[in-house]
Amino acid sequence: MPLSAVKTLAKPQNGVGAFILQCKRIDFHYCDWAGSSRGMNAFIKSGLPAFARRNPEVEITVSPRPHRHPVMIGHYINGREKSICVRNMSLEGVREKAMLIRNSSGERPKKLNKPVTSLNESVRGIWSPFHGAKVKI
Amino acid sequence: MKRIRISRCGSQLLAQPAHRRPTCPSAAAALQSNFTPHNYRIQSRPQSTAAAFSGSDLLNAQSEAESSGGARNRKPPPARAARTASTSPPQSIADLTKHRSPRPERAFGSAKLAALRSRLSLPQRFPLQSLARTLVHPSADADPDFNNSSLSILGANLLSYYTTEHLLCNYPRLPMPVVFAAQEAYIGPKALATIAGEWGIEAAAVPGEEVDPGLLQFDRLRSGDDVPAGLRHHEAPWKWNITVTHKILANDEFGSSTSNKNPQSLRGQAVPLEEAAQSFVRALIGSLHLHLGRPLVKRFFRDHFLSRHLDVDKLFDFRTPTRDLSRLCAREGFEPPVARLISETGRLSRHPVFIVGVYSGKDKLGEGAGSSLDEARFRAAAAALKGWYLYKPLEFTVPSSTEGEMDTSEWIPNLVDCGEVIV
Repeated sequence: MPLSAVKTLAKPQNGVGAFILQCKRIDFHYCDWAGSSRGMNAFIKSGLPAFARRNPEVEITVSPRPHRHPVMIGHYINGREKSICVRNMSLEGVREKAMLIRNSSGERPKKLNKPVTSLNESVRGIWSPFHGAKVKI
Repeated sequence: MKRIRISRCGSQLLAQPAHRRPTCPSAAAALQSNFTPHNYRIQSRPQSTAAAFSGSDLLNAQSEAESSGGARNRKPPPARAARTASTSPPQSIADLTKHRSPRPERAFGSAKLAALRSRLSLPQRFPLQSLARTLVHPSADADPDFNNSSLSILGANLLSYYTTEHLLCNYPRLPMPVVFAAQEAYIGPKALATIAGEWGIEAAAVPGEEVDPGLLQFDRLRSGDDVPAGLRHHEAPWKWNITVTHKILANDEFGSSTSNKNPQSLRGQAVPLEEAAQSFVRALIGSLHLHLGRPLVKRFFRDHFLSRHLDVDKLFDFRTPTRDLSRLCAREGFEPPVARLISETGRLSRHPVFIVGVYSGKDKLGEGAGSSLDEARFRAAAAALKGWYLYKPLEFTVPSSTEGEMDTSEWIPNLVDCGEVIV
């Protein structure tokens, strides 16, 4: 057998070609009685239909959670969740948090040390002492 | 997920154990009768797990018995009338064994399906019922009119066609083992299952009519059980010389031999998640082809499959690159390759580095660096071979671009190579 092949998988590059929004579901939990969910209730009544219409790729569930603070939970494609308690927030604050959950990738916050992360090899290559102008000592 | 009925939750605390599963003849019942329920937590734990496990095993055994009996007696498949009348609650455990998919009209009410269609950027004219049907594996619903078996056959053929033409037109000199490996990297079983996961597909715990149609429906293989015979790879004995020609002619597009390619034969058998997920991806391609036509499927394929990153030059695994290269030069009429040392450092040190080039006459075919002269020579020969095999024409057209009248690009004949070096 002169030549064999290595079995691998092609790596995903989300956004190259197709873009898949990573947030797949947002759960909104509210309480009818408590004052801490006043902003959440206002958002559900006035802002949520427009939010759902603008983001059809996100499944949205609304359910009561009596005598608890309001919370919104985002479920992501990588299996992780992001939950934000929106107690005592205004309508605008709740909307901002909903957009934050929608825009997150679901990954843990990571420190990125390099300005560019790429799967491709560097075009310029690694510096080699054997090529180019020789250093005379 | 399947909803647990509230009555069942309550019965764990309140009802008599005998009323819970009166018909279950398995060992778990004996366990229950010996059990003294002094605390409901201790009581509920073995009951819930044992009930779920043994009950499903019972269903499996019965469905297997039914399927084998059905094959013997040539029973007709369940008719549509039986399906429409299925709104009434099941009377016996035999009704429960018929795994059914959600009815097509329920697709409109599923938020998951609508979200999936938007997530994949599919147009609104792609019907949700078809999307729901692609999520039903034959193991969940044996009726071929309601599961995705026919669609997945079509989709598998389309996927392998588009991938093959992309590879062969892009790299006309690619050796066959590398073509097989590249196919598997793009559309192999593992790749398709990964793609389904990246699209956010969730699996139902147990298939059934009441399950949300946006969940992947299949009969899940239990941990420790054997994979169905239709999914096993039949490895030839090691003495057999399986030639590449045989792999091209007899095996599937990945050069591996699976015993059957008919997904309908998996009905009534528990399958792993990977099998169900890949059947969904194939069926989605098939139904896109039927509903939206060829140009949109090709665009979908380009966006979701070909956009993935694969280094074809990392797939090569040479055993004797120097011998291959000299055979190649002899075949192509080049001068025999000669390895020459270009540069070196630290020959007597702990980390020597040699740069070796392979020359054919005055042409440098390849260059490699290594910590010994032989290593550098091998690397140089491998680089030269990769340079030959990975030739890529600047302009090419794929055969499928001539199929429709939509594409008006002019056909450029493709290079047909005589193949890799045979040593």
